Amino acid sequence: MFSTSSQKKFWTFGDENELVCLREKHNLQFIMKHGAHIDEYQRYNFFLTPDEERLLLKQYELHMKEFCKRFNPPMPKGVVGTSFQYFKRFYLYNSSMDYHPKEILATCVYLACKVEEFNVSIGQFVANIKGDREKASDIILNNELLLMQQLNYHLTIHNPFRPVEGFLIDIKTRCSLANPERLRSGIDEFLEKVFLTDACLLYAPSQIALAAVLHAASKEQENLDSYVTDMLFRDAGPDKLAILIEAVRKIRSMVKMVESPAREKVRLIEKKLDRCRNQENNPDSEIYKRRMKEALDEDDLPYTGSSRMSLDTSGISQVATS
Amino acid sequence: MDDQACPRCKTTKYRNPSLKLMVNVCGHALCESCVELLFLKGSGSCPDCNVPLRRSNFRVQLFEDPMVEKEIDIRKRVLKDYNKKEEDFATLREYNDYLEEIETIIYNLTNNIDIVATNKKIEQYKKDNKEIIMKNKAKIGREEIELEEILEIEKEMEELRRAELQRIEQEAKRQKIREKEALIDELMFAEGDAKDILNTFAQAKASKQEELLPPVPKITQFSTGVKFTRGSADQHIPIIEEGPLYRYEPPPVPDRCGPEPPTLNEIISNGFLQHVKRENETEKAGGYTSKLPCLRALQDAFSGLYHAS
Repeated sequence: MFSTSSQKKFWTFGDENELVCLREKHNLQFIMKHGAHIDEYQRYNFFLTPDEERLLLKQYELHMKEFCKRFNPPMPKGVVGTSFQYFKRFYLYNSSMDYHPKEILATCVYLACKVEEFNVSIGQFVANIKGDREKASDIILNNELLLMQQLNYHLTIHNPFRPVEGFLIDIKTRCSLANPERLRSGIDEFLEKVFLTDACLLYAPSQIALAAVLHAASKEQENLDSYVTDMLFRDAGPDKLAILIEAVRKIRSMVKMVESPAREKVRLIEKKLDRCRNQENNPDSEIYKRRMKEALDEDDLPYTGSSRMSLDTSGISQVATS
Repeated sequence: MDDQACPRCKTTKYRNPSLKLMVNVCGHALCESCVELLFLKGSGSCPDCNVPLRRSNFRVQLFEDPMVEKEIDIRKRVLKDYNKKEEDFATLREYNDYLEEIETIIYNLTNNIDIVATNKKIEQYKKDNKEIIMKNKAKIGREEIELEEILEIEKEMEELRRAELQRIEQEAKRQKIREKEALIDELMFAEGDAKDILNTFAQAKASKQEELLPPVPKITQFSTGVKFTRGSADQHIPIIEEGPLYRYEPPPVPDRCGPEPPTLNEIISNGFLQHVKRENETEKAGGYTSKLPCLRALQDAFSGLYHAS
């Protein structure tokens, strides 16, 4: 249940500012660590700004959507939702300059396949990736543990898909709406876009699901307001209804605002990233290869990441004690 | 003994010397081979009176009259529960009444008089005197162990005495032979009067007989005097302080942070199931019903709706 989950406790944030603050903080941390010798002005030109990082990650979220859509065998919706959650959570506490989103993207999808019990082997998985597949599987397997650690091992994700089914069953049973199944296409479209926003880091999955249902209904020129006010919130106070209405309004406006970033801008950012990224985590760099070799010689785990950037919440102590 | 015969197959002791009659609780006899035949499955009913019997309860008939066997059985059973002692009664009169009652019960059961009422009486008695029965049972058990122990000690002593006697006897025999030889030697080689020699030998023999070795007791005890076989019998088992009895409390339902979802019963009665894919026969065999996913979807839909940032 969402109300008792780690998702609510540690990964549902108050408002968008909190997310922006976290991202800026880790952007700044990276720059301080790796750019201490560069003067202020050049730093700005050399490293990515928080806004540039945001743009880049949005682009990669689009990539992720495409990747999941084209995945063979076709992937259940739950895996897609979980992958997006992992991706967003990871970059709340890490900079894209530290870990390249291209690599984290594949790792997130791979981990989501496992967690959502969608059984594909690593061989089957990398068959969906263009380019050097051996290298890709190495990267994914190397990053998998890092990703889990950065997610604080909170691997269970509450997606809005099951709540949507619940609402549809409830509407069919308790509402006089004609043929609720026709809402489905609108709902699916809405949910696809929701994952390109930060809504799943701010609202409960049932709220997102309800927003999707209401959006789809309004697209079909139907009105489900009476269902919400008279059925769902009959026993709740008006204050709770007001909160929900505001949440639904906010989610719908977030979805409306989704737009793909300008291609030219992204290309420039990618170029910039190639220069400023942390070479220790770049599998093509000399440093990385040397370190891998050393690690192998030591007969140790090949993974050597920089020290974990801690969650600001009490998450760590929670994980350590439980 | 010749007229001993199996009532079922009519074999007699005369025709089959190895005939063994068996009886069960009802008191009707059967020969061994008939028992084997009828109770192949371990249980069955008596061919005489149709009472259900177990094969394991058959035993060899000791008395010629099978009714006696039946009575022994019943007596054993009744005395298991009617195990009060004289100390349990205030007066001798009461105790005698009690003994008489036992005899009446046994007689009734043996001769099929008033069986239902008698059995009821026994049940009632058992219920009323549960504690005393249990206590006396334990006491009898303890007494039996003590009795066994005494018997064992007696047996040991007996054996010791017999061995001692045997040893003395043999010793005496050997002594006699030795003395005889010594006497003959003396007579052959000594130069004194033969009569004197005979006299001195007779005197020596008489004085020797007096000194007898004391028997050495066998060690079967610890230095404290506690027997090897048994721990101290009179020590009471410490009574363990028992805590309050366990009482089930349903686990607390966590705050759903949303409207109350329908219960499993409401899902069935309010028609939610019409909108869910029905489980097929194969799924049912695996324990799957469509109620559960329906319930879960509804719970997930309602949980967190009140969530406020």
